[in-house]
Amino acid sequence: MMQTPQSTDARILVVDDERVNVVLLERILQQAGYTNIKSTTDSTQAAALYDEFEPDLIMLDLHMPGLDGFAVMEQLDGRIKDDDFLPILILTADIRPEIKRRALSAGAKDFVTKPFDRTEVLLRIQNLLETRYLYLRFDRQGVREGQAT
Amino acid sequence: MWRRYGDALYTLVTFAIFGFETLALGALSISFLLGKAAGIASTPVEEILFAVVTSTASALALLGLYLLTYHFTSAMRDRWQAERLDTWTEKWIGLALETDPAGGSGDVTFTNRLSQPAIEAVLSLLEAVKGEEGDRLKEALIDHHVDRAFLRRLQTGHLAARLDAIERLGKARLPVAVEPLLELVGHPKAVVRRMAIRAAAGTLATMTPEAELDEPSRRFIQTLKGSALQAGVIQEALLLLETRAPGVLRGLLAEPDLPDALLWVVLETIGRLGLADMAVEVALSTTHQDPELRAAAFRALRRLGLVPDQSQLPLLAALTDEVDFVRVQAAHTATFLPAEKALRALWPLLEDESWWVRRAAAGSMAAHGEDGVAALTRAAKTHADQGARDMAVQILLEAGVLDAAAARQFKGVA
Repeated sequence: MMQTPQSTDARILVVDDERVNVVLLERILQQAGYTNIKSTTDSTQAAALYDEFEPDLIMLDLHMPGLDGFAVMEQLDGRIKDDDFLPILILTADIRPEIKRRALSAGAKDFVTKPFDRTEVLLRIQNLLETRYLYLRFDRQGVREGQAT
Repeated sequence: MWRRYGDALYTLVTFAIFGFETLALGALSISFLLGKAAGIASTPVEEILFAVVTSTASALALLGLYLLTYHFTSAMRDRWQAERLDTWTEKWIGLALETDPAGGSGDVTFTNRLSQPAIEAVLSLLEAVKGEEGDRLKEALIDHHVDRAFLRRLQTGHLAARLDAIERLGKARLPVAVEPLLELVGHPKAVVRRMAIRAAAGTLATMTPEAELDEPSRRFIQTLKGSALQAGVIQEALLLLETRAPGVLRGLLAEPDLPDALLWVVLETIGRLGLADMAVEVALSTTHQDPELRAAAFRALRRLGLVPDQSQLPLLAALTDEVDFVRVQAAHTATFLPAEKALRALWPLLEDESWWVRRAAAGSMAAHGEDGVAALTRAAKTHADQGARDMAVQILLEAGVLDAAAARQFKGVA
């Protein structure tokens, strides 16, 4: 029987230029039981942190100085394998549909609007992680069946 | 001081220059002094020179010392303030998440009068969190009478202080501030009006409406109606309303004497927010006597991606509107008419006198899938008008139906 990892073991990377947001998200996640959290307020470090930390989920601010969220997703696009499902949860105060469409086409999977609601954030994270774990489970199952045949 | 980056290098270079100059002038002063003691420098000119060199050296030494001290103290102060801010941020987060509800432990305590870092930290947090957690922080602000202090500053005659109070109230999003902020929308200074409406809208967005159109929303609508705000500012404020926006927009459309300029903003905002369930209300403006409003209504419908049944006839009529920009918007919106009806109506527009109308018509035809592409291809080959044929070819090229060589053949260039 394939073991499904606990979602609270998930590695979560938070990228937001506002330190207050980063600390708040860290505390919300810690309070909910998540223990593997890394964060940065410097978006240029996002790709390197992705390589080093191999997160299960990325929480990404869209509007940041220097490298914005779209540019970060572009950088990550070259790193994320085609057959991988890495959820990117966008943190934004911009509710315009065109921004959401642009983010979705750049690789975002879901949105949380700032100021955010704690319960909503945790539910969205939980849902995305469940999807990722299901994906990983089927992926591994596929590999195992491939090896068996 | 006035730079954000390279502080260390700037200090080093300044120190090196001032140090070098001071040392050189100091050495010169000493040699003058020694010469004077030995009786070599005794003329009045040499004495004046000696005085000049000595005073310049002293001035440079003092200035250098001041610069170094300034940088040192400001760096220390910044670090201290950042630490205070971090400590308070942690404290407020503890309060918001109820992990530290007592608020009495740690380096800082919740005293009756909150310090500036405490206020800055809670305001930043209120920009990040809402719901129960946000409400706890707002309660704390009220418990410490911060709201009263902000509201008092709103009434001050000093513009900078008033703007600062508006900004802080905008971040705090305290329901009690909505009315005073809306009153400021009538202020003679544009910057005050703009900041006040933004702050009021942001605050309303965090207040759970009691009904789709509750009293604060109604008050917001009346303020917009009577204001001298620019269209862009109103649109921004409406977007800031977030989930409260549909109710306010519907309320504005229901106003009997809504100014045309405000109606234009409402139509634009509905389109930008993609409020498809308001398409019927938008459709009412497709026959407005003002061409700007007819165009705005069609643009909004295009953004919503649908044409209500009752708007199909006005849309077909608008394709022959006397104003070209109305025809442009109508042609774009015809994308959402049934294909047969749209293609028949758009065909004559391919030879419209306006290049923009021809382009919109051809683009709209292409958006109708296979039937549209077939009609455009027919237009490229057989339309009587050269401009229509060229536009059809151009759109087919852009849609990837034709390659450059085929397009040249169509145009008879190859």
